[in-house]
Amino acid sequence: MGIVIAVISGKGGVGKTTATANLGLGIAMNDKKCVLVDFDIGQRNLDMILGLENRVVYDMVQVMDGEANLKQALIKSKANENLHFLAASQTKDKSVLDSDKVKKLVAELKESFDFVILDAPAGIESGYEHTIEFADAAIVVVNPEVSSIRDADRAIGILDSKSAKVKEGEEVAKYLVINRIVADMVESGEMLRSEDILEILNIKLLGKIPEDRGVIDASNQGKPIILDKKSIAGQAYVRIAGRLCGQKVDMKDIEISDAGLFKKIAGIFK
Amino acid sequence: MFGFLKKKKSASLAKDRLTIAIMSDRDRTNGYPFMDEMKAEIIKVVQKYVGVKGVEIRKEIDGDMEALAIDVELDKNI
Repeated sequence: MGIVIAVISGKGGVGKTTATANLGLGIAMNDKKCVLVDFDIGQRNLDMILGLENRVVYDMVQVMDGEANLKQALIKSKANENLHFLAASQTKDKSVLDSDKVKKLVAELKESFDFVILDAPAGIESGYEHTIEFADAAIVVVNPEVSSIRDADRAIGILDSKSAKVKEGEEVAKYLVINRIVADMVESGEMLRSEDILEILNIKLLGKIPEDRGVIDASNQGKPIILDKKSIAGQAYVRIAGRLCGQKVDMKDIEISDAGLFKKIAGIFK
Repeated sequence: MFGFLKKKKSASLAKDRLTIAIMSDRDRTNGYPFMDEMKAEIIKVVQKYVGVKGVEIRKEIDGDMEALAIDVELDKNI
C-alpha cells in the first residue's frame, strides 16, 4: 500500500510542477514505484516538464468517469521505468472533480504504487481541496519571498481543515520545500533565511533548492533537472528524494555562497 | 563603515511584515474549527420561526476584546 503525497503551494509559479516531476523521478531512481497525477485541470503542464506531452491519450478525468481504465491512461516515463504519469484533463474545468471519484482513483493508485504524488493546482479553490482531501502528507513549495509565503500559510490552513485524515482525528504530515534560494542574497540580508520561513509557517523542512538557470533549460527539453548530475538544483532534488525514501540525508547548507564559504574557511586560519 | 547598522536589511523587514500579515490572516480565516457546524445549527434554530437565506459569522478583534458577529440574512419569500 503506497503513500499519497500532495504537492501544494498558495501562489502559482513557485515551481510546484517542476518539484513534482523531479521528486517523482528521484523517487523512481531509488527503485520505488511512483505515479505522478496532474490535478491542475484545464492547465495541464506536468506532461511538458516530463517530456511526455505527445504520449497523452487518456486523462485522469476520463479514468474517473470510467471512459478509460488506468492501464490505458498511465504513461511510462522515458527516463525511468519506475515512474508513471497520469495527465490532467485539458478540456474540462476544475468543477468536474468530485470527492468520491477522487477517493476511488487515489485508492486504486495506492494499490500498485509505493508513492502516489498529486500535483495540486495553485490557489485555494475547489480543485485544490480535492487534491489534498485524501493525501497522507503534503509537500508545501514556497519561494523565499513574501507573497508566496503568505499564500502558503492559507493553503496550509485549508489542508488542516479539509483533509480527510484531519477529519478522522489524525494528523496530515506537512513538509516545506524552499525553492529558488539565492545564497549571496541570503548572506547579505536581502532574502529571507530558511529558519525564518520555517518559524513563520510553523512547519518542518524537507529541503532547500538553490536558484538554478538550468531549470528552464531542462523544462525546454522536457528532461527534469535531476537527470543533470552537475546541476545544483538537480543535486538538491536527489537529496530530497532520498529523504522521502527514508534515507538520512544531511541538510546541505545552500544558503552559503562559494564566496561566503571561502570567507568561513579563511576565518578558521585567522 | 557602520552604514549597514543604520539601514534595516530587507529580509528582516520581510519577516516582521509577514509575521503580522499571517497572524491577521489566521484570525480572519480560521476563526474556530467549528464555524461551519455552528452556522448550520443557527440556521436550523432560526428557521423554526422565520425563513433564512444565509448566515455569516465573523470573529472580530479589537484590542483585547474579541467578539463573534453573527449576521442572519432572512428569506422574505418564506
